Amino acid sequence: MKDDGKKKRIGVFVCHCGVNIAGVVDVEKVAELLKDYPGVEFSTDYVYMCSEPGQQLVLDKIKEDKLDSVIIAACSPTLHEKTFQSAAELAGLNPHQVEIANIREQDSWVHPDRDKATVKAVKIVKSMVEKAIQNEDLEPIKVGVFKKALVIGGGVTGLQAAMDIADQGYEVIVVEKEPSVGGKMIQLSETFPTLDCSQCILTPKMVEVTRHPKIKLMTYSEVESISGFVGNFKVRIKKKPRFVDEDKCKLCNECADVCPQIVPDEYNMGLSFRKAIYMPFPQAVPGTYTLDMESCLGTLPIRCGKCKDVCDAQAIDYDMKEEIIEEEVGAVVVATGYDLYDMKALGEYGGENYEDVLNGLEFERILSASGPTGGKVQRPSDGKVPKNVVFIQCAGSRDPENHNSYCSKICCMYTAKHAMLYKHRVHDGNAIVFYIDVRTGGKNFDEFYQRATDDESILYLRGKVSKIFKEGNKMIVWGVDTLTGQKVEVEADMVVLAMAMTKADGVPELMKKLKISIDGNGWLAEAHPKLRPVESLNQGFYLAGAALGPKDIPEAVAQASAAAAKVGALFAKDELMHAPTIVPVIEELCSGCGICVSMCPYGARTLNAVRKVIEVNEVLCEGCGACAAACPAGAAQQLNQSDSQIFSMVKAILRG
Amino acid sequence: MRIREHKKPFGFEKPSRPHGKIIIIDERCKGCGFCVEYCPQDVLELSERFNKKGYHPPEAVNDHACVNCGFCRMICPEFAIYTVEDEPVIG
Repeated sequence: MKDDGKKKRIGVFVCHCGVNIAGVVDVEKVAELLKDYPGVEFSTDYVYMCSEPGQQLVLDKIKEDKLDSVIIAACSPTLHEKTFQSAAELAGLNPHQVEIANIREQDSWVHPDRDKATVKAVKIVKSMVEKAIQNEDLEPIKVGVFKKALVIGGGVTGLQAAMDIADQGYEVIVVEKEPSVGGKMIQLSETFPTLDCSQCILTPKMVEVTRHPKIKLMTYSEVESISGFVGNFKVRIKKKPRFVDEDKCKLCNECADVCPQIVPDEYNMGLSFRKAIYMPFPQAVPGTYTLDMESCLGTLPIRCGKCKDVCDAQAIDYDMKEEIIEEEVGAVVVATGYDLYDMKALGEYGGENYEDVLNGLEFERILSASGPTGGKVQRPSDGKVPKNVVFIQCAGSRDPENHNSYCSKICCMYTAKHAMLYKHRVHDGNAIVFYIDVRTGGKNFDEFYQRATDDESILYLRGKVSKIFKEGNKMIVWGVDTLTGQKVEVEADMVVLAMAMTKADGVPELMKKLKISIDGNGWLAEAHPKLRPVESLNQGFYLAGAALGPKDIPEAVAQASAAAAKVGALFAKDELMHAPTIVPVIEELCSGCGICVSMCPYGARTLNAVRKVIEVNEVLCEGCGACAAACPAGAAQQLNQSDSQIFSMVKAILRG
Repeated sequence: MRIREHKKPFGFEKPSRPHGKIIIIDERCKGCGFCVEYCPQDVLELSERFNKKGYHPPEAVNDHACVNCGFCRMICPEFAIYTVEDEPVIG
């Protein structure tokens, strides 16, 4: 160790955290007992260490008592390690000489007994003193930044993030797996609470993105893998063959006219049909046809060739191959969006066996002027105008026993919108809404709901629907009105379910590749739910939109701009500092067995076959310590977390 | 996201599509089965009967599904099968 022979001068600062710690732990006693511990020069307690005077106290004492290491006995290091490291740095102390002893989450919050908790706090602080004795000064590792961003997902969130990053002057690549950008928002008819047309507000944004000189749009593409580290990612993007040259295609539709293959149209939620060669919707960006090879009769080894025969522009090329495109980027914005909960799971509402029981997006298409009925409300089974429509909220949401436990947040508002738009189109129709609660938190949201109940005379019944079944050409809805306690039976022509939002298809697999954690429901996990809502714990990855959890358009757009601001802040620096608490190799001890190579989740360790030793890429190493635990020879020693430090800490705890 | 298939949305059938009339020249066939294998719509099967050469020529078992793509004509090594454009059909 560097400090051989030289005794350390350690300062101990015990925080009360109001009553959070002091309510259980006798903090004065902890500070007092530590005064005489070997290596400790100074020990005190203070009511809020993280406050400005608290930090100043640390700063002053470092200078005054010439402390060369400090222990802050307070909350979890995830909360304030950075705070105290910066304070120590101001006093001229190396930030890696600051240690946090967690006596809140690991002690006062989980123990009721004052005496025992105090003893435990003393043990925790002593163990950190032992660690600090062997801590060395470490200097951050400097790395350059590739000032180009990748945005995954071309929905409204992805497009907004791309625009905001590009407007700051940085290059952006947008990757979208569907043939066109637009996401779910482009399928909506009108948006709450202003009832402005969704396409009218989104299509200009879509076009703007294609025209922006800093944005490269890659539709019908998927991210295959991302390697590297913040500021220096290498991305492999799989570009699926479209079989149509985007630049040559003149959108004449002659190919689709002759195509013999007819499949359900995804854009209209299966309520109309498209051909195997198609344009998803008239405003699609990029404006081109796409040959969907899964629906096509096939091109290998023989092909029907009808579309190519009629294409005057010679835009169709059956020999297009899947391409892998490699790009270097410095930051990644993940905006992978959501999907609707599978209707098949809702057996009590008929699964998806009843044509006239629709999910929210299907009804959006029926309401939409660009939809299969041109905006006329008709029911799918026979095309008749439904006179009685039942709307059921929380279909698949807020039902921990059977479905999802969470609230899908937007359904209350969109059901009010659906019912309202239905009444606008069918004046003599009746709309009945079954709800558990109506949650209208948002700007002008409750006014919108009041308008639905008061002005539009939509009947709201508080209660759940237990069953829907078909009788003749009517749907019978059995529910209960919990306000009167009566059973309700409604003969409906059509039923619209406010389906739960759920994680998008393929997201867990993609997040596994990107090393972004997801929660139990499959939503992406932010670094801190309140203070770092658009960051991932994996540095350089920013998260936005409905991929993080149910949210409406304004919230998704706000998160997109927030993520873009974070990317801008990252790109404003020319050099990044990488934490130096890495795990280097003691070459004399290393036998080159390679166990650590297989343990490393970051690909930071490689085996030098000639010298038979492990080599470490300093910037890739995140200091997780997996290799240090696995190394049979003790050749992998984490800086400031060595085996010898851990043993001293254990000894200190056992001694008491 | 999985899309539910509505068989007859709003009471309308699927749009009409091309349809082919399948013509098989039995005597040329040598029963290789390429047409059966390559038909993307699974229209053809080898029949039980024999032609003069002693082979089983194909027969159309699912005539309605033919989309007049011409895969059978293109793959047949003996020029023994072809389709001609018929009236468009639905479904």
